[in-house]
Amino acid sequence: MAADAEVEVRNPSGLHARPAATFVRASAAFTADVTVTNLTRDAARSASAKSVLGVMGLAVARGHRVRIAADGADADEAVTQLVALIAAGLGEEIDGE
Amino acid sequence: MTDDAPALVGIVVVSHSADVAAATVQLVARLANLPADGPLLVAAGGLEDGSIGTDATRIADALVAADAGAGVVILADLGSAVLAAATAIDELIEPDLARRVRISGGPLVEGTFVAAVQASAGDGLDGVVAAADAAASMNKLDGR
Repeated sequence: MAADAEVEVRNPSGLHARPAATFVRASAAFTADVTVTNLTRDAARSASAKSVLGVMGLAVARGHRVRIAADGADADEAVTQLVALIAAGLGEEIDGE
Repeated sequence: MTDDAPALVGIVVVSHSADVAAATVQLVARLANLPADGPLLVAAGGLEDGSIGTDATRIADALVAADAGAGVVILADLGSAVLAAATAIDELIEPDLARRVRISGGPLVEGTFVAAVQASAGDGLDGVVAAADAAASMNKLDGR
């Protein structure tokens, strides 16, 4: 089973350090393979959502759009929950709300 | 963590300075946003009297403290920190534990951060040490 969705990153520090760690831990809870792509910087490059080095290497900043793609038994659930986590700010306050 | 969750890989931070080792653990626990039931991070810095140096016995004690059953990855600063870690593994801990201890060549802060995140995500010993090693190639300026 495969699924994917796009979402805008809105928390101040993007996918760096604390938010990246939070995202990687959440991704690792799924058995599906999960990848993330920074559509704003390079739509041709993807990284494993379960690797903090891979995720931070995408240099995702606030305002960037990312695609979350999953392949595996819990792919739908993974995409739904990870997109929701990013949309909610990955534990950071979202300015301008 | 529930009782039936698999054990997480532990991490030992070795520095010539007790302050650097302790601060690295404190910094990484915060940067990696580690949950209370996350991996064990243990500092092994300085000599017994607080002076600068590395002490294989302190490292051995830290390895025992950091092992939850899944093994331990060591991040070290420079030079004899690695030698002291190797001495601790080869001579001062039980062979059963020594078999599941790895020394990473990754940089101290970045490597400890990456190791802590991957350990908290449930990666195994080989995955955690490979990620910590790869932290050496992290491009901090990407996106600037």
